[in-house]
Amino acid sequence: MRVTRLLKLMAVLFAISLTAAACGGDDDSASVTTSECGSDLGVEKGDSVTDLSVALVAPSAADDVAFTQSMVDSLTRLGIEPQITDGTFVVEEAAAAIRGYAEDGVNIVIAHGTQYGGSLAEIAPDFPETSFIWGTATDTQGLANVFAYHPEADQGGYVNGYIAAGLAGDIGVVGPVEAGDAVAYVEGFAKGAQANGASAPSIVYTGSFSDVALATTTAQAHADNGVGALTGTSQSAVGAVTVATANDLPWFGTQSNTEAWSTDLTVASQVYHWDVVLKDMIEQIEGGTLGGEAMSLTLENGGLVMEFNGCYDLDSDIRDAAEGVIEDIIAGEISTK
Amino acid sequence: MSQFFTLSVLTATLATAIKFAVPYLLASLGETIGQRSGVLNLGVDGIMLLGAFGAYYTVLETDSHLLGLAVGLIIGLLMGLLYAVVTVFLHAQQGISGIGIFLFGLGFSDLLFQELVGSVKPVKPLPTLDKLPGVGGIFEPLVDIDILGPLVFDHDLMTYTAFLLVPVVTWLLNKTTFGMNVRAVGENPQAADSLGVSVARTRFIAIMFGCVLAGLAGATLALQLAVFQHNLTNGIGFIAVALVYFGAWQPRWVMAGALLYGLVTATRLRWQSLDIIPQGASDIAAMTPAIITILALVLLASRARGPAALTKPFTRH
Amino acid sequence: MSAPVLQMHNITKTFPGVLANDDVSFDVHAGEVHTLLGENGAGKSTLMKILFGLYQPDSGQILLRGQQANITSPTDAIEKRVGMVHQHFMLVPTLTVAENVALGLPSSRGLRTDLDAVSERIASISEQYGLSVDPGVEIWKLSVGERQRVEIIKALYRDAELLVLDEPTAVLTPQEVDDLFVILRQMTAADTAIIFISHKLHEVMELSDRITVLRNGRVTGHTTPAETSRQQLADLMVGREVKLAPDKPPVDLGLVRLKLRGVTVKGDRGTIAVDNVDLDVHAGEILGVAGVSGNGQRELAETIAGLRPAEAGSVQLDDTDLSKANPAQSRAAGLSYVPEERMKDGAVGEFDVSENLLLINHGEKRFLRNGLFNFDAIKSHCQQLVDDFAVKTPSLSTPTSSLSGGNIQKVIMARELESSPAVLVAAQPTRGVDIGAAEYIHSQLVKQRSDGVAIVMISEDLDEVLGLADRIAVMFEGRIVKIVDRENATKDQLGLAMAGAG
Repeated sequence: MRVTRLLKLMAVLFAISLTAAACGGDDDSASVTTSECGSDLGVEKGDSVTDLSVALVAPSAADDVAFTQSMVDSLTRLGIEPQITDGTFVVEEAAAAIRGYAEDGVNIVIAHGTQYGGSLAEIAPDFPETSFIWGTATDTQGLANVFAYHPEADQGGYVNGYIAAGLAGDIGVVGPVEAGDAVAYVEGFAKGAQANGASAPSIVYTGSFSDVALATTTAQAHADNGVGALTGTSQSAVGAVTVATANDLPWFGTQSNTEAWSTDLTVASQVYHWDVVLKDMIEQIEGGTLGGEAMSLTLENGGLVMEFNGCYDLDSDIRDAAEGVIEDIIAGEISTK
Repeated sequence: MSQFFTLSVLTATLATAIKFAVPYLLASLGETIGQRSGVLNLGVDGIMLLGAFGAYYTVLETDSHLLGLAVGLIIGLLMGLLYAVVTVFLHAQQGISGIGIFLFGLGFSDLLFQELVGSVKPVKPLPTLDKLPGVGGIFEPLVDIDILGPLVFDHDLMTYTAFLLVPVVTWLLNKTTFGMNVRAVGENPQAADSLGVSVARTRFIAIMFGCVLAGLAGATLALQLAVFQHNLTNGIGFIAVALVYFGAWQPRWVMAGALLYGLVTATRLRWQSLDIIPQGASDIAAMTPAIITILALVLLASRARGPAALTKPFTRH
Repeated sequence: MSAPVLQMHNITKTFPGVLANDDVSFDVHAGEVHTLLGENGAGKSTLMKILFGLYQPDSGQILLRGQQANITSPTDAIEKRVGMVHQHFMLVPTLTVAENVALGLPSSRGLRTDLDAVSERIASISEQYGLSVDPGVEIWKLSVGERQRVEIIKALYRDAELLVLDEPTAVLTPQEVDDLFVILRQMTAADTAIIFISHKLHEVMELSDRITVLRNGRVTGHTTPAETSRQQLADLMVGREVKLAPDKPPVDLGLVRLKLRGVTVKGDRGTIAVDNVDLDVHAGEILGVAGVSGNGQRELAETIAGLRPAEAGSVQLDDTDLSKANPAQSRAAGLSYVPEERMKDGAVGEFDVSENLLLINHGEKRFLRNGLFNFDAIKSHCQQLVDDFAVKTPSLSTPTSSLSGGNIQKVIMARELESSPAVLVAAQPTRGVDIGAAEYIHSQLVKQRSDGVAIVMISEDLDEVLGLADRIAVMFEGRIVKIVDRENATKDQLGLAMAGAG
């Protein structure tokens, strides 16, 4: 019947177009960059780092300008053109794809989604010759042929908080859900802000990664309360950015570079670069170690990059102090947790 | 707690609640008309998403809010046409057809967004009265009035439209022949049919009303938030459908529900921002608006009974 | 004399395999009540559907006021001033009387409703015909009788010159029936023509000016009350001689078999449906329970049958307490039950005749051989029952749902009586059943009575109760408000009690 066919089409569209947490990309592994105001950064294909075959299974579309694309971009930087199964929002479908690639003899299968962990625990032991890379996750579930990756988001959070405290005494935070890298970022931010003399930031978790209206309303409440700076994380944060813009409040981004959302008011963004840990993992795999290690994106290894907005006129004293903080974090002299 | 009970915070919270309620109100008023005619539309959220994207993209390209709202309205009209044909003329099961419309709206709005826009780019938000081009100056002093200013005058035109629609829809349902026909076909389509009232035509028009308002609700949401992204509505359309049930199919109760939902949301976020609600309780806090709204409306409107022919396709025997 | 308001000439209508109307002719004049009398399936409703444009006749013609009329739809019929009061009211319960009347009509105020003007005209129609009803009140607040008046007003408001009433008395109390007849008389006095569809013979005799009897799609008689009798009408309907009231041989009253004390039962909505009922039913007696539908009779029957637990009180069959019993325990104690909703509670429609006959006792040894069904034994047993109870069925394997109401009821009766019960509860045993089958069912009830069964017969049909019962209990709002011996019962007195005024 017509309706069921229509439904199928919708379901396919639905699956194709799901996006998860936002994440953008940049191209070098230095821990600090400054954008040229008004520039547009593309991704250049790097020299291939491996001859091993690589496959990627990810929940959203490869061109989602967010979570999945950040991984594709990172692989591109490493000169890798993976086989891709994207849009597998349904975990069962992802599991089938992961197993399929392993059966086809692909050397490295990247399962880019925390939710795929359960499937991986079933599949990985069946293919001991295949290496699986899974994230974001802080451990490998004890599997010898699984690598895990996750960002130490508290580090950039600390830096952002430290800078924000230089601009305002009261700061508002628009958090999504009290979980994962969002909590790490927010808590690092609060610690950094207080380290630089601000009062404890007002933190609101809206309860949703995606609800723009809640983020907007939260940011508005912060603005009404008289905060002097705002930050937030997750794809819903764009709602907070529009409030920052309307109220002329400096904004601090994370996950991706939020300059596109607010050219003038984004001070700095912490951006994830997966390729740093991927490169390390691939080297180990070529050396015969197929997994067993969980790796972090940090300021030190260049997986986290603080991108300063060239369009925002940040006081040079604050900027210098921030770079000092970054060095101290890398040197281990500041604890961001 | 004391920092919440200051005039300025209370006023700001109320003003936020009013603004927050607008997309819910528009969508649920439309759904009220549809349901009173006996047609349940679970696709409201999908239509809102398409209306939201259409309006957002139009403003991104043309910078005209009016054009954006018009596009949202037209998208609602087209989706209404689709839903009406499927449910009224093909007699499809309403629940699953609505879900189909939702999935289509969710997927297609995102597909268009990826293809035409790519990354999230803010547009100009809908101007409040005092920022209206040309006439804004007239309202500027009004916005500065204590309490009344932020509550009554510091809103965009769609907010006034939404609240004005409450008496209009009430009037439409109760004082016009069309409204009488809507109520009749929603309750006993056989009886209406036996008197020459076209059940199909009445439901068709009622669906059109509902979907146009859904499209407009989405457009308003996108232009108030001044962005579009994947699943921008985040379930507003479904809550709007629930508000119709809990509001006992009466526009004024539906409005009360939308306002209460907005008020509880605004209050809990405000309390979180003032540390009145501790951080660890954010998950529970996030559930309060739905729980309190449902409880309140269930208590107030518990005796209400829905249209008897709701979700039942009509065929003449 | 002017042309009749309606003439239907030589109407023939066939459906695949069925000749629904075969050369049917009749006419109605202004100011008269013309009754169409016939069993279910006699062709009355096909004829009326043709009149209302829902079917087109294969041949024949319809004349309205002497003019050839081509009626294409119910709306078209309304425009041609033909009105219909359906058996199941076509009213919107949440709308007011005025709104129901105005529905589908153009408003004098354009888009806005003109309910004030509508109400005024309703008031004047009400006054003219004695149809008192408040135009501003919602339908759901009205009694059944009032709702029927709204239906009549709807037709009169549309200037109906011809009004068809389809079984209008089925849902009314005797007093409401009297009121209705007064109204209908006033309408004919104002020159309205009325087609009255009924199978209640005494009403037909009382109200009609002329009577047309239909059987199997054919007209079997045109007559008037003066020229005929109830017996003759029944014979015309059924096509043979019918016993309207069964002969009841005298039976010696036995011991009390069923004893109810203080039985209180909740209905589906959680309200008290049966309120502190005491009853004694003796062996060899038929206790008739009269009452308007919805006054607790169904709940009472279900409680006795073990289908609905009693909130308080006791139900005793001989020495067994059944107040907490389930249906199996009730049956084991000797109780049989013929439910009101025969297709819902009495039989499984998709099952064939023999399966329904064996629904209860298929586990008995006589139907088994080595633990499996003994189909020969089953077949002969079922054939015996079908013969005994004169069930008209093409075969034992015919799906039960395809039988007529009367034959389904016979299947249920056969099954329920096969076990020689001590107590039989029969709820609405002949509702919707044609006269021939009703006659047979009545004779079976009388036979059981003679065999010493204690019978509770629940019926909304006062004629049935008066014809069969030895004692009569009237239920109103869950209570037994009156209990009298048959000899001392009059119809008026029972009717008043049914309306709560006894």
